[in-house]
Amino acid sequence: MVYTPGNPGSKLDENFENDLLAIADTKLVLGNWYAECTMNGRSLPDFAAILGMCTANYGHTRAIYQYLAAHGHEYDHVERGRGPEEICSSNLLDEAPSGWEDFIVSTWLAELSTWMLASGFLNHEDRAVAGIAKKIGQETYFHLKYAHGWFQIIGEGKTQSKLFQSAFAVRFPLSLQWFGPTRGKDPLHAAGIRDVPLKKLRDAFIKEVAKAETLLGSALEHDKSIKFAKDWRSDARRFGPMPDSLFEVVRFKDPGLAH
Amino acid sequence: MATKLKSRKKIDQKRERGGKEPKYYEVFARKDSHSELAHVGSVEAPNDQLAQVRAWYIYDQHQWREMCVVPLEAIITVTEEGKSAKIKMA
Repeated sequence: MVYTPGNPGSKLDENFENDLLAIADTKLVLGNWYAECTMNGRSLPDFAAILGMCTANYGHTRAIYQYLAAHGHEYDHVERGRGPEEICSSNLLDEAPSGWEDFIVSTWLAELSTWMLASGFLNHEDRAVAGIAKKIGQETYFHLKYAHGWFQIIGEGKTQSKLFQSAFAVRFPLSLQWFGPTRGKDPLHAAGIRDVPLKKLRDAFIKEVAKAETLLGSALEHDKSIKFAKDWRSDARRFGPMPDSLFEVVRFKDPGLAH
Repeated sequence: MATKLKSRKKIDQKRERGGKEPKYYEVFARKDSHSELAHVGSVEAPNDQLAQVRAWYIYDQHQWREMCVVPLEAIITVTEEGKSAKIKMA
C-alpha cells in the first residue's frame, strides 16, 4: 500500500497528539508482547488468536502513526526514528511477564486501558479519528473476550488464582497511573477535543476491571490511590524512559520490510 | 528478550484444554445476510469465550457478517444416532 503523507501544514493540538501517541506506542509494545509470547499459547488455535491480537494492535499503531504523519509529522521518524526516551508506552508493559497469569493480567489491562482512552474520541469531529477509535473498539472486543475466557480457567486453579492476584497487585496501579492524577488537568476535554472527561474514562476503567471478579470467582485486591513517581511525565503518560531491553525488542530493525 | 515469559511453559491439560479429552466447537458463519449460515470448521477450546475468539481469528478468510460456535457435544446426530458427530479440524 502506498502511503500518502497528507497535508503537513495542518497541525494538531499538542495534548491531542500526546494522547494519540500514548495509545499508539502502548499498542506497539502490546503487539510486541503478543509476538514474543505467541509460542506460550496453550494450543495451535491459541497461537492463531495471539497472533491475530498482535497484528490488530500493530494495525492500530500504524493507523495512528499515519494519521499523525498526515498532520505534520515524518512517518519514518514516528515509526522508526524515535529512541527509548521518546516512546510513550505505558509503564504497565515495561517489565516482561513473569508467567502465563501475569501475561493475561498485563495484556488485559493494556487492552482495556488503551480502549478506554481511545473511546473518548469516538465522537471526534474528524471522522478519521472517530473511525480509528471505532475500529479499536471492534477489535478490542475480541481481545478482552480472550482474557475473560482465561479468567474462568485461571479462577478454577488455586495456585493460578494466587499468581493472578499477585500479578494484578503489581500491574493494576501502573495501568491506573496511565490515566494520570485524579485531580489533574484535562485540557483535551476543556478544549472540546474529547467529549468525555478523563475522570469518567478512568472510573469506567476501574468499573470494567471489577467485572473480572465474577469470572475469576474471587475479589481483586487493589489500592485505588496511586503514588506518582517524581519523573512522571503527563505528556507521555509514563515515568522514565522505556527500558533499553524492551526498546531492543520493539525497535524497528529492518526498514526495508516496511514497504 | 524483555517480553519473553520468564517461567517455563506448563500446561494443565485438564483445566486449560477443557477436560480429560479436548473440547471441540463447530464454527458456522455467513458472509452476508443473503448467504446461508454454513459450517466453516472446528476449534478446540476449554470454554465458550475462548472458542469464540479462536474461531474468529482462525477462520478470518472473509469479513463475516455473522459467526457462531456450537459445542460439539450439543450436536444430536440423526443419521448415525448414538455416535458423535464428525468434526473437521482447522
